[in-house]
Amino acid sequence: MKEREVVIGHRLGLHARAAAKLVQLSTSFQSNIVLFRSDSNNPVEADARSILSVLLLSAAFGSKVSVRADGVDEDQALESICEYLAG
Amino acid sequence: MKDSERIIHGVVASVGAAIGRALRSFDPLFVSFNLKLRPEQVRKEVDRFRGSVEKSREQLKRMQSQLKRKSGPESSFLIDAHLLVLQDRLFVDRIIDKIENEQINSEWAIQQVSEDLFQAYDRLNDDYLRERRGDLEDIVRRLLHNLHSNPLPSFKKLPYDAILVGKVVPPSTLFELRSQRVVGLATETGSPLSHTAIMARSLEIPAVVGAPELAEVSSGDLLIVDGDRALVIVSPSDATLDEYKNRRRDEKAPKKKGRSAASAPSVTEDRVRISLGANINFSEEVRPAITIGCESIGLYRTEFDFFREGKQPDEESLVADYSLVLKSAKGAPVTFRTIDVGIDQKSWDGVNMNLGVRGLRFCLENTDVFKKQLRSLYRASVFGPMRILLPFVSSVDDLDSAHEIIAEVRQELDLKRLGYDPGVPIGVMIETPAAAQTCDLMASRVDFFCLGTNDLIQYYLVVDRSDRSVVHLYNPFHPAILRCLHQVYTLLHPTGKPVTVCGEMAADPPSAAVLLGLGFTSLSVSLAAYPRIKRMIRSVSYAQLRDLAAQILKMQKPRDVEEKVRATVYRP
Repeated sequence: MKEREVVIGHRLGLHARAAAKLVQLSTSFQSNIVLFRSDSNNPVEADARSILSVLLLSAAFGSKVSVRADGVDEDQALESICEYLAG
Repeated sequence: MKDSERIIHGVVASVGAAIGRALRSFDPLFVSFNLKLRPEQVRKEVDRFRGSVEKSREQLKRMQSQLKRKSGPESSFLIDAHLLVLQDRLFVDRIIDKIENEQINSEWAIQQVSEDLFQAYDRLNDDYLRERRGDLEDIVRRLLHNLHSNPLPSFKKLPYDAILVGKVVPPSTLFELRSQRVVGLATETGSPLSHTAIMARSLEIPAVVGAPELAEVSSGDLLIVDGDRALVIVSPSDATLDEYKNRRRDEKAPKKKGRSAASAPSVTEDRVRISLGANINFSEEVRPAITIGCESIGLYRTEFDFFREGKQPDEESLVADYSLVLKSAKGAPVTFRTIDVGIDQKSWDGVNMNLGVRGLRFCLENTDVFKKQLRSLYRASVFGPMRILLPFVSSVDDLDSAHEIIAEVRQELDLKRLGYDPGVPIGVMIETPAAAQTCDLMASRVDFFCLGTNDLIQYYLVVDRSDRSVVHLYNPFHPAILRCLHQVYTLLHPTGKPVTVCGEMAADPPSAAVLLGLGFTSLSVSLAAYPRIKRMIRSVSYAQLRDLAAQILKMQKPRDVEEKVRATVYRP
């Protein structure tokens, strides 16, 4: 299991378009991928393959998100997802 | 844990009371059924849901490719989001879990899961994201639509009595469901003049409309719709349920069992004849009233017909309406009350205490409208016995002005050689304290009186029944009311003019017994109350009630009066 923190670099945050791309990207990996707001007191986990849970993260531009990947391709998954989120 | 009973106020659209489970109309177009499945149906239901997801996906894919051709790849991401919802386990898997674990139908599972998500969206501090719930709504509509075009055969018959609840319920929905177990209707918006309300009345389904607090009601909640009192009771207590079940038995008995209760002679135990008429709001109710055995229509409220389509009808259609009422009454006399509402009044509930232009005051200021109604009534009078009742009269001057207008109308009809019954009795509604105090002064100018206890009590006790903070003070057993009624009887008895009590006081057995005791031997009540009041009349002794009235007139507290009356009426 690998984890990394990233700052959302999309100007509109993880909104419809960015969220949809993120879900599509996450679906291309075998690993389980979850996101949570590391800047929040009550971190809710979001399944990166669920558009609704990603949207409900309400991660705006500049918010800090931790990405955790667990599975055979976790390194690759973490790398490309963090790269995408950083914008 | 059982929720506590809650009362939601609305506007009457169709009388009677019904008990059932809320069946929420989730979208004006689609009704979501809350259906408990049998274990062997679950697998098929999951397939049905998956079928709807698959169909929705195909539709979206088609849309996406059309959109791409038309405006390039840029805009198709909006549809990506929809497609992703359809494969989102937070959504799809949870719905399937619900169908399997709770053994409920897809519509209901979709609604429950999406309502949770909608609430999560509404809690977000992000305006843009909050707006995203629209995408989810869109998907939900699509899924429901695709389920709708592939209905479960078992949905044709609901497994329980249902009350349709929604922001609006289209008349077609109500009509399509009529043969099923839809026993009531309650909507957040709408008026008694809407087509849905008219449909409810013609199907004899109790209905309350214009009750925005219904938004908090979900499918499956136990409800009572009381079209006689303009309210909906959510999660009724066992005591309330029993009360309504008894009432419902009363109401159904006459329809099913040869209408024995309602059509039995209206005489007391000691053989005193009591006249019992029906209060009617809409022409569709006249026929059922006559069918259950009502001898007269003691109060026909004309304002609903008058503003039926939200605009004033022309004279010819009014004549047609009133003729129809008289023909449906088959010779039973009908007392038409002229319109009792300000034309610009938005609230039709009639319970707002209004100290302004109401009833006859409105008619005297809008003589064109008043004359049109009077002409129509007179022209219809050849079709059956009719009486004309003037509402909200507060002085002899009002009455004289009304008589002048009536005389003009009759002259016009004479000139046009239009036939009418010149002997139509004219009466006054006693519902203002002024009329109660001076009814003897009016007696020489009228043929009959009606007592409207609802308004009279409101004005005497200064209690607006639509104001929840004071509604508990509304009490027909208050000594002020008893004295007022006693005074009206004392003033009018020597004049020999007939008096009918047509307020709700006449519809509640204990307070109706008080009216009999005070000497009022003519009552008129809603159809729903008719059987129970008939039964009360047949079970009491008039002489005993006269004694009772003499006693309670000396009592000090409403509660003591009520206890004493109940002990007499419900004696073992």
